[in-house]
Amino acid sequence: MLEPIKKNWRILLLVVVVLGSTVALFGPGFGPEPAPGESASEAQQGVTNLQYGLDLAGGTRVRAPLSGYTATDVALGGDTPGTVAEAVATELDNASTRDVGAVPEESAVEVTEPSVTESQFRAAMDAAGYEYGDVRSGVTQRTRDETMSVIQGKINEAGLSGGSVQQVQSITGEYFILVEVPGEGRQEVIDLLEERGTVRIDIAYPDGNGTAVQEGTLIQDDFEEIGTAAQSDQGTGAYVPVTVRNTAEDGQSPAHSFQDAVVQRGFPDAYQTQTDRCGYDEETGEIGNSNPCLLLVVDGEVVNSFGMDPGLADSMAQGSWAETGNFRLTTGEFTEAQTISLNLRAGALPADLDISGEGTSSSISASQGENFRTYSLIIGVLSVFAVAGMVFLRYREPRVALPMIVTALAEVYALLGFAALLGYPLELAVIAGFIAVVGTGVDDLVIIADQVMSEGDVSSRTVFDSRFRQAFWVIGAAAATTIIAMSPLMVLSLGDLSGFAIFTILGVLIGVLVTRPAYGDILRRLLTVR
Amino acid sequence: MVAIEVPKVNYTDYSNRQLAAVPLAFLVLALAIIGGWVVATGAPANLGLEFTGGVELRIADEANGDVEQQIQTAFDRQPDSVRTIPGDDVVVVTFQAAEDDPEGLANDLQDQADAAGLTTTAVDQVSPSFASDTARTALFGVGLAFLGMSVLVFALFRTFVPSVAVVASAFSDLVIPIAAMNLLGIQMTLGTIAALLMIIGYSVDSDILLNDSVLRRTGEFYESVSRAMRTGVTMTLTSIAAMVVMAIVASLFGIGLLRDIGIILSVGLCADLMNTYLMNVSLLRWYKFEGVAR
Repeated sequence: MLEPIKKNWRILLLVVVVLGSTVALFGPGFGPEPAPGESASEAQQGVTNLQYGLDLAGGTRVRAPLSGYTATDVALGGDTPGTVAEAVATELDNASTRDVGAVPEESAVEVTEPSVTESQFRAAMDAAGYEYGDVRSGVTQRTRDETMSVIQGKINEAGLSGGSVQQVQSITGEYFILVEVPGEGRQEVIDLLEERGTVRIDIAYPDGNGTAVQEGTLIQDDFEEIGTAAQSDQGTGAYVPVTVRNTAEDGQSPAHSFQDAVVQRGFPDAYQTQTDRCGYDEETGEIGNSNPCLLLVVDGEVVNSFGMDPGLADSMAQGSWAETGNFRLTTGEFTEAQTISLNLRAGALPADLDISGEGTSSSISASQGENFRTYSLIIGVLSVFAVAGMVFLRYREPRVALPMIVTALAEVYALLGFAALLGYPLELAVIAGFIAVVGTGVDDLVIIADQVMSEGDVSSRTVFDSRFRQAFWVIGAAAATTIIAMSPLMVLSLGDLSGFAIFTILGVLIGVLVTRPAYGDILRRLLTVR
Repeated sequence: MVAIEVPKVNYTDYSNRQLAAVPLAFLVLALAIIGGWVVATGAPANLGLEFTGGVELRIADEANGDVEQQIQTAFDRQPDSVRTIPGDDVVVVTFQAAEDDPEGLANDLQDQADAAGLTTTAVDQVSPSFASDTARTALFGVGLAFLGMSVLVFALFRTFVPSVAVVASAFSDLVIPIAAMNLLGIQMTLGTIAALLMIIGYSVDSDILLNDSVLRRTGEFYESVSRAMRTGVTMTLTSIAAMVVMAIVASLFGIGLLRDIGIILSVGLCADLMNTYLMNVSLLRWYKFEGVAR
């Protein structure tokens, strides 16, 4: 019973691979990972489990380095990152403490303000008295990781399914951030990357019978410093310490105008003792009692409302608060405080993406992508026809030519199965790889057929086997050169060409290991006299 | 029905010098063209967007009047090229990177297109410094691939002359398409780099087949050559057929990447036919009849 299996295991292996590909292509559970709030069938593009890349589905790809400079091998001398950042920042006219970061684990100091030049940064490092090894462009590993997680967060928040962000390193050692968002235009993606989550402070106050809101008494730019979220010393709650700017290019400073607004809305009168509370109801937007309230608004939504400490209200009434501008944004939950801190400080990326300076971006509309999908299918089918035509013209024997074409198609089918299994998005470059695989695949089948049929008829199995082995030496050598030639493309960061290389190599491997031996067996069954 | 018969070449009629003269002439000519390009333009080929930096817009041709006319007036800078894609109703407009102000060029251009009532279906932007980085990476990649292939070939055959024949013919297979690209006005893009790497992989196949047949099999020299040739020419012709079809259909639909790969591979494979069965054969014959005897 085992004998037929043993004799035809190569053909059986091909059948198994084809069946496996069918499962991967059409079976449930191999489809694209659905985005949050999306069902599995919605995530699927078309009838198969195949995923399409930007070229074929529409979308935007942005690839850019992070602007900034990093001093490496810095002798920090045990100083805390804060001390270092402050010392360096004071030596730079155009950067604040926020733009300078020290990473003791990497012995590195970085500046992320794009307007700071390399020589300015070197001078500042010298002036601050920190010895360093070298200054390179780019930022530290930590900042890159942070930037990636901020971008990932933005993509997730915006509900863009299939969006991805990764770091790639170029041959010169420079790091790039690669962001891919299917189905979105270039401008939308760049806006998303550059936009900050907006945080502002509104004041709600009783107005006649209802509640009125004075919007934007403090906006993001009004904050000079934003601390990290901290747990409240008394009670539950958490807070973010902030400092409001007391400088203005013209007119009143943000700190003064905030102080005036607070006094005008009657905070000092309403909050006399610790027992005075804010009675704002976030559901209805009404104030229960007659006290005015500060509202913390994130992305247009009120996330917290609070009253004011009597001492603070008093200092505002006297007009002395604006000098320092310190206060605390309180929240109920610690995690909420963290989000607010992040949104205030960032929402913006820790370092800017230098898209127009050193980056690339490309964007394809969804309809264009869909066209490309149809076109590449047509191109693929026609190329296969061209190959099939040549093969028929050459051999004029369906016994040889037909299995050849079927085997070549099986190879492409197996590759598609792999693509579905790996969840590798199909792109134009991958399609080119498929066509290249059909080309090489048929080449090798031609070698096998010619070799086996040369020198007269194939009468016995031994003759067949020896000729087949000889043919296989050439095929193996040819496959090895193709793999060697394509492998640099796989690892070098050359746009989408790595997909081309990966699928050409994968195709060659499937060909040499599975389909070409199987073709040999098929041919033997058809040609040898049994 | 027409059948493809691989013709039998009567190699005995020609001396080695005569055989090698044709491919060598082509190689010298190709090198001269590339050299001329370097002198004239500072680069060995017409560099495309990916290697120079710039912006490429795809603008939908909605058949409401003369789009090309509109494009000429829509932008405040002169486009470097405007191509109409017949199969897809789009016009591809390319702008080289601005030295003075690379900032926001893509946005400006897209805004200008919108303002003129044109629908942009795709935008590609590459900054100049990124582009020069890409060019270096690409050159490195091709060099590495070629080196790897050469080492492998030497390891496979372990004899000097036949290995050199394969490497030399692969080199010529690379150089001739580059020269042809220059003459045809095809730009060097990432797609053509992929095609060049593919040539390294593809073209060596027929050379290996020939060497294998002559060196590793029993049989008389000319018989071995004609046996290898029958298979090799079929192989190369099927590949050329696939690539020509891909190039034609892709250029109808305006898919630049596939078109470029198709054209380059077609030219490269044609060059390979010549190099393998003229240069390579003559080198092998010299090796077989004179080199071994020495």
